[in-house]
Amino acid sequence: MCLAIPHRIIRLFDDKRALASAGAVETEIRVDLVPGLEIGDVVLVHAGFAIERLREEQGQEIEALWEEVRRMAGIVHE
Amino acid sequence: MNETRERIALLSKALDLMTDRPIRVMEVCGTHTVSIFRQGLRSLFPPSLELVSGPGCPVCVTDQGEIDAAVSLAGIKGVTVATYGDMLRVPGSGSSLVNERALGRDVRVITSADQALEIARNEKTRLVVFVAVGFETTAPSTASVILDAHREGRGNFTVLNLHKAVPPVLEALASDKNIALDALLLPGHVSVILGLSPYRFLPEDHGIACAVAGFGAEDIMLALVEVVRQIREGRPRVASLYSQAVREEGNCLARDLIDRVFEPCDSSWRGLGNLPLSGYGLREEYSSIDALKRLEISINDTSPPSGCSCGEVLKGKMLPRECALFGRLCNPSHPVGPCMVSSEGSCAAHFRFSRGGDHPWKH
Amino acid sequence: METLTIGHGAGGSLTQELVSMILGRFPGNPVRDREDCAILPEGIAVTIDGYTVTPLTFEGGDIGSLCICGSANDLSVRGAKPLYIALGVIAEEGFPLGDLIRFMTSAAGVCSALGIELVTGDTKIVPRGQADGLFLTTCAIGRIGTHSGLGTSNISPGDVILLTSPPGMHGATIAASRYGLKVEGLSSDCAALWPMIEKLLPLEGLRCMRDCTRGGLGTVLCEWAESADIGIEIDETLIPWDEATVSVCDLLGLDPLHMAGEGCAAIVISQEEAADALELAKKHPLGKRASVIGSVTGEHPGYVGIHTASGGTRLVDKPVGEELPRIC
Repeated sequence: MCLAIPHRIIRLFDDKRALASAGAVETEIRVDLVPGLEIGDVVLVHAGFAIERLREEQGQEIEALWEEVRRMAGIVHE
Repeated sequence: MNETRERIALLSKALDLMTDRPIRVMEVCGTHTVSIFRQGLRSLFPPSLELVSGPGCPVCVTDQGEIDAAVSLAGIKGVTVATYGDMLRVPGSGSSLVNERALGRDVRVITSADQALEIARNEKTRLVVFVAVGFETTAPSTASVILDAHREGRGNFTVLNLHKAVPPVLEALASDKNIALDALLLPGHVSVILGLSPYRFLPEDHGIACAVAGFGAEDIMLALVEVVRQIREGRPRVASLYSQAVREEGNCLARDLIDRVFEPCDSSWRGLGNLPLSGYGLREEYSSIDALKRLEISINDTSPPSGCSCGEVLKGKMLPRECALFGRLCNPSHPVGPCMVSSEGSCAAHFRFSRGGDHPWKH
Repeated sequence: METLTIGHGAGGSLTQELVSMILGRFPGNPVRDREDCAILPEGIAVTIDGYTVTPLTFEGGDIGSLCICGSANDLSVRGAKPLYIALGVIAEEGFPLGDLIRFMTSAAGVCSALGIELVTGDTKIVPRGQADGLFLTTCAIGRIGTHSGLGTSNISPGDVILLTSPPGMHGATIAASRYGLKVEGLSSDCAALWPMIEKLLPLEGLRCMRDCTRGGLGTVLCEWAESADIGIEIDETLIPWDEATVSVCDLLGLDPLHMAGEGCAAIVISQEEAADALELAKKHPLGKRASVIGSVTGEHPGYVGIHTASGGTRLVDKPVGEELPRIC
């Protein structure tokens, strides 16, 4: 229902606006929904507004699931 | 075979081996719907896994009477309607915004609420009506722009507010005995705002397996593996598989903004009817920004187009191809119902990517 | 009252309906074929196209270069060397003369590079508000050379689909500019294809070609599948994607298979000569990213399938109307 694309913060204009890049695209976004951003942070942008800062780690749930998948598919993980 | 394809093939194999009984999963996010189709994932699901598309497209669930109001507003002299591209082709009872634009009305496509306010700042002689649609992901941006406009005293900026809430519609779907869902793929980006707790009632009260999922092929396949695992183990819960973006508590600041500007209200959903407290109404403080009040337009009750089964499709009770209008009388060039209009609507997605199942890659 | 919408001009299924409606008013008129240009007796090829791009100047070209390249390409993909151009200018009152001269200079540059003569023309100035700046119409005339039999009806199972360059670059450039996106490295692919196509024409296994303009690569493939009653299968990972084009499409929720190119041709060639065609195309700068993207099959006639990067398979379809950015 809501298309959101990761953007990297390039420049912060003020506490509301920033310049950010998604792939080759540079665009001005609103950042007032995600306070305390810094240059280089990656945010999820929906309809021109950053809605969250992205974290790098995948989370343990995902790792555990992959274990399950490998086990199910009959690949023993050494 | 490249690495991505190998990983997906592995997931597909595991899913096939795990699905030892008929399982009915609903994805409630239109972006999931499109992603699943675009990547051809259906061709990788086991036959006993049925994936139905729920009311996950804010355009699809916008009531016909609400579209009629937007069309009426566009017809008023001096009004500029600004809205997202998704809304343009949605038919009301007589016209659509794309038709009104063809007739010379000032209807502009924007990609952010901010741009609607910017039009009002730059063109002071126009009265801008921002047609605001969307769920919790989009509502905070509307709220933020309304606060800006209020602060600036921007008299020529108004909002036709059509925002809707996701948890109440999930409640309605989960309680409907005819739908009989085993699992839900929860919308990743709505969850970014809401966090996980608003979904707990789904496993706890209704026994429905849930996973919050991202949007890549791998994310979606993994989420399906997860819900099937929950079902096999008989332990439904809300699994969070999109932890890069979704915090347990959600985005509190964004939710505070929603609360400052909106209050829960009853809302009409196309095909689902009136659902209690499923909408976000503008608070009294901001009534001067309400386009309906400013321009004295009201939203009328309308009956759905004759023969249209969008309501049943949205609830997952009917497949798009089972609707009598599908394909011949209702297709993307001449949409009758909202599910055909939005490119992510379940009917349009089925038509575009599989012509309702009538193609070589169906199963 | 039913009125025309932008979608009727977007090259998808609405456009097809409109064209059929117009042709229906010409009963008894032999419509030779629905290809990019018509072939008249004695190998004379003719095409006409209107150009209404906004903005008039874009990264990689302007309406002047576009109006020559576009019409010349429509001839080239049927194996006809572009020779003559007739040019119609409709300008709005108040349009800057200097801009018009600049666009004409750029049109003339393409003509002289290709050896095309401007042979006749027309200029109309309409009152302010009756046109959006500048509209150009070009009618291009050429002659069929070595390869006279190019056309959709030649396509048969076993043939190979070759794409000469990344799809959708022009469309993405225009969309980015219309929706205010600044995109590093994004440029329209607006170019005349004749110099590259000329080199391919001696190949006997050449079946047909199309430039992937309005409606994009997806539309070209669907039209082939429908009119030749064959099936097509392509592989998403073999398409030479332009990174900037894909970024713009991701961001605006558009499908790059539906975005127009203005210097990108899809080619059907026999399996035997596919490697030669690829090598010839790659030798020319316009074809340096050429790639075999799929093949023709006797199965599922009328349908185009794409094997996706994830390993799934789905149907490719034509866009309905105007491609609008989505937030959902």
